[in-house]
Amino acid sequence: MKHIMVTGGSRGLGLGIVIHLLNQGYKVSTCSRNKTTAVDDLVNNNEHVKWFQCEVGNAEQTATFVKSACEWAEVPLWGLINNAGIAKEGVLATFPNVESDALLQVNLNGALYFAREVLRVFLRQNTAGRIINISSIIGSRGYTGLAAYSASKAGLDGLTRALARENGRRNITVNSIAPGYLDTEMSSTLSDKKRDQIIRRTPMHRLGTVADITPAISFLLSDEAAFITGQTLTIDGGITN
Amino acid sequence: MSNLADIILNETRQIIENKAEVCPEITVESEFLVDLPMDSLDLATLIVTLELTTGIDPFRDGFKTFHSIAELIALYEGAAV
Repeated sequence: MKHIMVTGGSRGLGLGIVIHLLNQGYKVSTCSRNKTTAVDDLVNNNEHVKWFQCEVGNAEQTATFVKSACEWAEVPLWGLINNAGIAKEGVLATFPNVESDALLQVNLNGALYFAREVLRVFLRQNTAGRIINISSIIGSRGYTGLAAYSASKAGLDGLTRALARENGRRNITVNSIAPGYLDTEMSSTLSDKKRDQIIRRTPMHRLGTVADITPAISFLLSDEAAFITGQTLTIDGGITN
Repeated sequence: MSNLADIILNETRQIIENKAEVCPEITVESEFLVDLPMDSLDLATLIVTLELTTGIDPFRDGFKTFHSIAELIALYEGAAV
């Protein structure tokens, strides 16, 4: 059994990833700021998953979580899914600096801190491993009102490419998955007009679902994906074509 | 030679041997990236392992440059005080 860490696994895509990985036979540790009923139910009914409280973006809490999760798992760590992220909307000219600082701290620095701690575990274990950063098509395309979010996701893709080069010789792969517009809590704030516009512009004529994303994650974690690194895999129903 | 020096020499040797490389003679004058078959990730592995083994992290407040085993020993002995 292999151990995978998923950040932000208490709701939305993160929770879907945790459930998918459990179904695939992985041991999964996850963390978030607060526990949800959904993750609580999951933990109470499955001994192969454990939730820890951790504020993503806090380096000290990240180190503590990674250490505790590895001790709990009792099997070597195989992968990290850097999923935790926040989105806040507003044109930059009036977007408070404190909001963009907080967003970048979670979405970009948070992922970087996690990658650092997990890479230290891989080096200590002297094993191969996988890091998957959950990016977004907004990182490469941009979107009005999402400048800080877009910057954070573009940064994440840069992190992916750099870490892929840095760690490839240890058979550690690092990739990004860039979902399009998903039907999750994060997109629930979209107006009906905007939602319809996105659906109209998507060749597949719908928003994505968590189930559209999770198979790509298990593929990138698999041995079959051992030679794929430094890539950003877009899963968006064709909207960025 | 101090206990810390022994640990650093042993861990360095172990990392080289784990790579299935022939370990050359290691002295305190040996430079990691010049005289030994080590790369930057091997050095990172050494630092991470030493932190776990000794509980000492001389780089907590920022990276300090070192080239040789002697320089690394000095950093650890300085941080252990």
